[in-house]
Amino acid sequence: MTMSCQDILERLVEGVTGSVPPAERTAVLEHLATCPQCRREAAELEATVGHLRAAGAFTTPPGFWGEFMERLSAQAAHERLPVMLRLRRWLAAPRHAWGTALVTAAVAIVISTVRPPMRPTATPDPLSPTARGLVTETMTTTLPSLGEMLDVWRAGLATEGEPLGATEPRP
Amino acid sequence: MNAEDLQLLEAFRRGEESAFTALVIKYRESIYRVARRMLGNHEDAADAAQEVLIRAHRALARFDGRSQLYTWLYRITVNLCLDARSRIARMPLLDDEEGLRDQPAAQILEEEAEDREVGRLVARAVSTLPPRQRAMVVLRLYQDLPYQEIARIMGCSEGTVKATMFAALRKLRRTLAEAGVRAP
Repeated sequence: MTMSCQDILERLVEGVTGSVPPAERTAVLEHLATCPQCRREAAELEATVGHLRAAGAFTTPPGFWGEFMERLSAQAAHERLPVMLRLRRWLAAPRHAWGTALVTAAVAIVISTVRPPMRPTATPDPLSPTARGLVTETMTTTLPSLGEMLDVWRAGLATEGEPLGATEPRP
Repeated sequence: MNAEDLQLLEAFRRGEESAFTALVIKYRESIYRVARRMLGNHEDAADAAQEVLIRAHRALARFDGRSQLYTWLYRITVNLCLDARSRIARMPLLDDEEGLRDQPAAQILEEEAEDREVGRLVARAVSTLPPRQRAMVVLRLYQDLPYQEIARIMGCSEGTVKATMFAALRKLRRTLAEAGVRAP
């Protein structure tokens, strides 16, 4: 069997089940006209599909669908969701998902931009964070007047034209 | 998704249970027929159809509408039936076959009896197919779904569906020939 026969057989399945496009149908028919092997295959496939379709009808017992609907309603009612969950179901619908996302984003933006009034701030620490790290508790307790001493020194050093040892010679 | 189904879906999302009932009435027989072909007897098919519709009821609000509603329902049906089939090693189709045998032979015309016998042999032949092949045959031959929809339902390519159908029909032809079923 040539490759072209294999191609035709695959289209035959579509043909015998009724869905081959018109353009391909013409090609299939042209091939079948010249290929007895594919013709036989097509006839057998057609017969098989005919048997399958002929055996297609099923009947249900009388009153079946009525009972079916009653049973289904009972089950569905048993699963009836409370209001909040029904609301969640409504929100779960894809068309509401974007709206829900936008509202959530808007609320988040409002919360982050509108802040409550500022509380009074604490007295600023005169020491920088680096200095605060160097001044230990022992230092602050043993030298309570450290700040005052520093001020005095600064004032003394800032006096121009008066060298430290000018008025009082060192012993 | 067609407009009618879309309207019913929207109504269901608004909380109208009657919309779900309308969808059930529209699709219940198709679901039942697929389940009956897949499972081979009325009781299991009825239970499967109930379960499919209960699952659909739970998940319908989240249905995104990118496929047809029936495609989605068939997918639930086929998956449920494949699960059921995997729990049962071989489904002997007892109910359908016994239902046919229970008919008193004298009351049935000879031609009708022959049709029933052929129907029984065809049902048995279909039952010998692997479950996925069987699902594809059922969806194509009995539900007339296009290959593209079957591919979506089965989660495979259209080419795979066509190749599987070809293999399934060849196997059925062989099985029916062995059983002595003549061309109609």
